[in-house]
Amino acid sequence: MKATGGREMTGKRRGVGTVISFALAALVMIYLSYQVPRLLPGDFVTAMYASSQVTLTAEEAADLRAYYAQEGGFGGYLARVLTLDWGYSYAFLTPVSELFFEALPWTLLLLGTAHLLSMAAGFVGGVEAAWRHGRVAEKGLVGGMTLLEGMPEISTGVILLFVFALNLNWFPAVGAETAYADLGGIDRLGNILHHLALPLTTLILAYVPGNFLLTRNSMILVLRAPFIQTARAKGLPPIRIRYAHAARNALLPLATRFGLRLAFMITGALVIERIYAYPGLGTLLFNAIQARDLPVIQSVVLMSSIGVLGVILCLEAAYRLIDPRIRNAH
Amino acid sequence: MHINRKEVLRDPWFVAGLCLALAFGFVALLGPALAPYDPWNMGFEPIASPDSRHLLGVNDGGQDILSELLYAVRNTVAFGLLSGLAALGLGVAAGLAAGWYGGPVDAFLMRLADVLLAVPAVMVLILAAALFRPEPWVLALLLAVFAWPTISKTIRAQTLSLRTSLHVKAAVRMGASGRYILRRHLLPEMFPLYLIGFAAKARMAMFMEASLAFLGLFDPSRKSLGMMISYALKFYYMDIWWHWLMPPVLCLSLLIMGVTFLAVGLEKVLDPRLRTVTGEPV
Repeated sequence: MKATGGREMTGKRRGVGTVISFALAALVMIYLSYQVPRLLPGDFVTAMYASSQVTLTAEEAADLRAYYAQEGGFGGYLARVLTLDWGYSYAFLTPVSELFFEALPWTLLLLGTAHLLSMAAGFVGGVEAAWRHGRVAEKGLVGGMTLLEGMPEISTGVILLFVFALNLNWFPAVGAETAYADLGGIDRLGNILHHLALPLTTLILAYVPGNFLLTRNSMILVLRAPFIQTARAKGLPPIRIRYAHAARNALLPLATRFGLRLAFMITGALVIERIYAYPGLGTLLFNAIQARDLPVIQSVVLMSSIGVLGVILCLEAAYRLIDPRIRNAH
Repeated sequence: MHINRKEVLRDPWFVAGLCLALAFGFVALLGPALAPYDPWNMGFEPIASPDSRHLLGVNDGGQDILSELLYAVRNTVAFGLLSGLAALGLGVAAGLAAGWYGGPVDAFLMRLADVLLAVPAVMVLILAAALFRPEPWVLALLLAVFAWPTISKTIRAQTLSLRTSLHVKAAVRMGASGRYILRRHLLPEMFPLYLIGFAAKARMAMFMEASLAFLGLFDPSRKSLGMMISYALKFYYMDIWWHWLMPPVLCLSLLIMGVTFLAVGLEKVLDPRLRTVTGEPV
């Protein structure tokens, strides 16, 4: 799904073009985040906080208005974004950037692990399934994965919470680690993994089917190609044919799909964090929405959007590593 | 390109999806007539277990859960259909224009598509919902603005290959205008692709609606599956799982499954690359 214009553009120029259009997209987002609160009719500070659980003193309201008046214009706002001066949260009584960087590691841990594991599992599963194409086990696996593909994260999350946390009591229902437990070293790591298990499983169950089905479908096509027949005729061991020869070709669609879907997969992650009260950005955002805490909502929205842009940009570079045809083009 | 009706109806996924979609369509259309009570009526005994008058019990606000559920399904389905249709319209228009006119039109539209694909739509929707508290249909259309690019890429690729097909070349030779060819030849020919794109986008929109409602971004008086799950989850330690929490969870799962199966079934029958030599879909 390489974008267009690729016909005339060389690989290198395309790379530069991508960086520029992503930088522009990031700037547009920062600009919107700067401009949008001003588009609100009337005194939005009063309007926002009227339905909030927090009551502002006159002084705090004046501070907030001053913050949103943005004396320095867009340049000033941009400088504030870059220097992590994102305002003050009146609901949590903490600077916004502090809240953000407290929550960020948990989200990265949860999402990063979920994506890595589900990519690996979906890829290997898909390759093996395509290799056994037509057998009963493969048909069953494909059926099961299609069924799972239809399960939204909210439902899987709630069901896993019910079965494993509340009924069987195998896993904790809330948090990322036991509060005030003061565990050290290995014990703390174990505790964190114990808390991670359920949200992680939910996300993996949501991500694996897509990866699996895509890999299997592209592998089935690859396995019909003449070069696979050559490899077989040479008498190579099947595992080598599968991974060294065929699977490489199924990797690129997988990476493409990841780039296309990442922006949408964020939605599920937000919901899962809220279900398990996992202290990442999703929960922070949810609490901020409940409290109508505008500076926090704004910062989380802006920063995570820019984060997703960054990941997709890195992915563009990774294409070149996966596929020498792109690297060596022209 | 056309759909072989018999083949599609032989596909078990498609049939399952069709049954689910019809069932939910029925509930969505007739929801208000089927609901035993007004879902906003708060006059019943709060947190009551199911009995003969309230089949699914009563929630913490004293509202009949079954009536809430019927209205919620209706709202989620409507959101999904509207957003899916809008995304389809935008995607088809952009894909046709990019593929047919090429050049700067193509470059611009596809660059725009790339950038929109990289923006997490949910973040924009959250910001819009938190600041402006818009009507749900505004959010549905806003979501469509971020959802069209994948459709347009498929349509563009297909347009490029159709451009060189004989009948289109013949139409050009006979002096047909670009607009005429787009409308009379290209637009109807790609119909099956629209179904797949629409199903995929409607699915995504319904999931998005449930998530946004779950996060509390819609008007609290608007009934939604996500909001019901979110409210019921607050009482997770009580005996409410089977009549309060599971019904919306089950409805949401079946709804999303239905649309997913429709898309899977159509894709399987339509993707010529996934066929064996004998023409059987794999």
